[in-house]
Amino acid sequence: MRRPSWLVLLGLLGLLGLSGLSACSITPVQPWEKGLLAKKAMGFEADRLEAGFAEHIYTSKEAAAGGAGVGASGCGCN
Amino acid sequence: MAATESLGGRILAAALCLPGLAEPAHADGAPDQGLIAFKYLDYLDYQPGRERVRIRAPSLHLLLPLSSRWALGATAIHDAISGASPAFHTRAISQLQDERHAADLTLTRFFDDASLGLTAAYSNEADYRSRGLALSGSWSTEDRNRSWSAGLGLSKDVINPVTRLVVDEKKRVLDWTLGLTQVLNPRQVLQLTLGHNRARGYLNDPYKVSHERPRARHATRLLLRFNQHLEDGGQTLRWSLRHYQDSYGVRAQTAGLEFVQPLPWSFSLTPSLRLHNQRRAAFYVEVDPEAAPFATQPPEDWLQFSLDQRLSSFGARTLGLKLAWQPTPDWTADVKLEHYAQRGDWYLGSGSTGLAPFAARSWQVGLSRSF
Amino acid sequence: MPIFHHPFPALGGRAEIVLAAADEAEAKRLAQLGIDEVLRIEHKYSRYRADSLIGRINAQAGGEPVELDDETLALLRFADTLHLDSEGLFDPTSGVLRRAWDFKQPRLPRPDELAPLLALIGWGRVEREGKTLRLPQAGMELDFGGFGKEYAADRAATALKAAGVRHGHVNLAGDIRVLGPKPDGQPWQIGIQHPRQPGKLIASLPLRQGGLATSGDYERYFELDGQRYCHVLNPRTGWPVRFWRSVSVVAPLTVAAGALSSLAMLKEADGLMLLQRSGLPFLAIDPDGALLRDAIH
Repeated sequence: MRRPSWLVLLGLLGLLGLSGLSACSITPVQPWEKGLLAKKAMGFEADRLEAGFAEHIYTSKEAAAGGAGVGASGCGCN
Repeated sequence: MAATESLGGRILAAALCLPGLAEPAHADGAPDQGLIAFKYLDYLDYQPGRERVRIRAPSLHLLLPLSSRWALGATAIHDAISGASPAFHTRAISQLQDERHAADLTLTRFFDDASLGLTAAYSNEADYRSRGLALSGSWSTEDRNRSWSAGLGLSKDVINPVTRLVVDEKKRVLDWTLGLTQVLNPRQVLQLTLGHNRARGYLNDPYKVSHERPRARHATRLLLRFNQHLEDGGQTLRWSLRHYQDSYGVRAQTAGLEFVQPLPWSFSLTPSLRLHNQRRAAFYVEVDPEAAPFATQPPEDWLQFSLDQRLSSFGARTLGLKLAWQPTPDWTADVKLEHYAQRGDWYLGSGSTGLAPFAARSWQVGLSRSF
Repeated sequence: MPIFHHPFPALGGRAEIVLAAADEAEAKRLAQLGIDEVLRIEHKYSRYRADSLIGRINAQAGGEPVELDDETLALLRFADTLHLDSEGLFDPTSGVLRRAWDFKQPRLPRPDELAPLLALIGWGRVEREGKTLRLPQAGMELDFGGFGKEYAADRAATALKAAGVRHGHVNLAGDIRVLGPKPDGQPWQIGIQHPRQPGKLIASLPLRQGGLATSGDYERYFELDGQRYCHVLNPRTGWPVRFWRSVSVVAPLTVAAGALSSLAMLKEADGLMLLQRSGLPFLAIDPDGALLRDAIH
């Protein structure tokens, strides 16, 4: 297998760092403090169709592609 | 009060957090409400003096909880594409007309602290057929302050351009993601996602002349997203930053910001900005002004070459404005306008030259209902 | 499975735990778990007892801060939510007003009696740091009147459910939490008291689970010159609210139902929109005696 790119290594390091860091230095948020986080605007998956359109449009106009989810099918637009 | 969620819901959520009152082992992710959403896109791109591609696409999304542990999601989209696209760089614009149907179906199983989903997807158009399968999972800590996500997707595409330039070419794609979402405090949440994509097979655009891309493309993306809620005004800021690079030599940075401003009578206004900076593919052939009106010839020793504007060096910015209305907890209506502009000289560095500035405008209107 | 009733005095009124069990002895044992939990909360949060936690906090007003346990801290955070969402109408420090309003005699307080009491009200002034709380001025009082009884109903229900009870309900003087339907699957018929005819019901709701809480102007009041003055007092003016005769809300938790019914009473006419947009079933009786309802049949 090819040597993974520096970006993959950075990403894995970032994920490890974020998970390790938060375990000891961020005070856990209690369930009764979660009201604001439950708002739709604070979520990452809010509008699926809007995200779908955005991904579709940008993939056909730019060379970079990909967001937070995994791709399941392609189209003939790039 | 500029609240867009119900007060009853907030009080109930707060009540559930009192000690000893929440149901034990409640599967967090399992939706207790279904959702049906419709959205329509009208998109038009153009370069000076010339309209290019026009897309009109209605799409539908459905989410159906099957039980407290299972849910089914489905999305369908119908693209009607018409207009014109350049055969090389931004010249020799020729007509195109196409229709694309795509749909996906996801079945998700929810556990106490985790979920697992299987997605089947397809996309059909006259000259391109794609079928794919993806597996995705999430796992979160008991207090839900942190959750991991992972996904793996495979797709097989068959390309049959109407010009019959090539016949029955295949393309296979593998895509995986790994992500972490961490609640930092009651008003801020951070998400980091790493993704990798490997494509093999016929990767050319058969309608563009002088186009010989490599038969493999490996791409990696790292996406950082940050949502914060502002205390005083009730607004939400959504930041995003993505770095992308692939084996074509393309390196791109994309930054986005959305600002959700609640308004009276259950309205909310969200202006947004997206900036994209992209370095060209190594085999992108810059426009040679002497060659006009013919296509620039790639250097003789190049085995791969492309005159595709999408692989050039450019900077792009999108300005968007979305107005949403949620008169009851169950109904949402929204309309969004966006303007996109892309230019070689906006690249942070020496951008690609000779390309006509490219722009696009789009509007989307959507309606959704929970049940 | 036979059904057993266990009445007991609590929270200044009549309380009852109804449940289905194999036999009377088992029913009594299980009911006692619920009763113990209700009495525990009453002893801890009653403002009428000097030895309760609330009594201690009130006695130390203007003095030293009091260290609080997790349960109390959680209830204070809940109070924060209610205070914030009601734009200050809901205020746990408004209990001092009962010194001016004695509902046993029909007498309106004078402005110079109310003013000093209003000066003692202000949830935002309560000093909270870490796990401690301090009422900054002597004479200030804290009380969980708006949600304490409802919280006790939910906690008793949790205790009973944890012990395996699947059919029954907890009734604390009109605030009810249903654990599960009757053994035959039929819902319990929960009555809502008529606000003008004591002893009679104005509606009866079938409930299989969840909580029902009612706020009304008939629990403690006096009438003077044809005008009713009830015990739900506006913390800004010091005067009773004067709109709804009764508001009942159904929610998965009684504490949420109680918070919403109290807020609707406090908001007077604006309370209707609050109820309609809450997404929860409700029954409200307006000043003319008309029934307004949503999703309640």
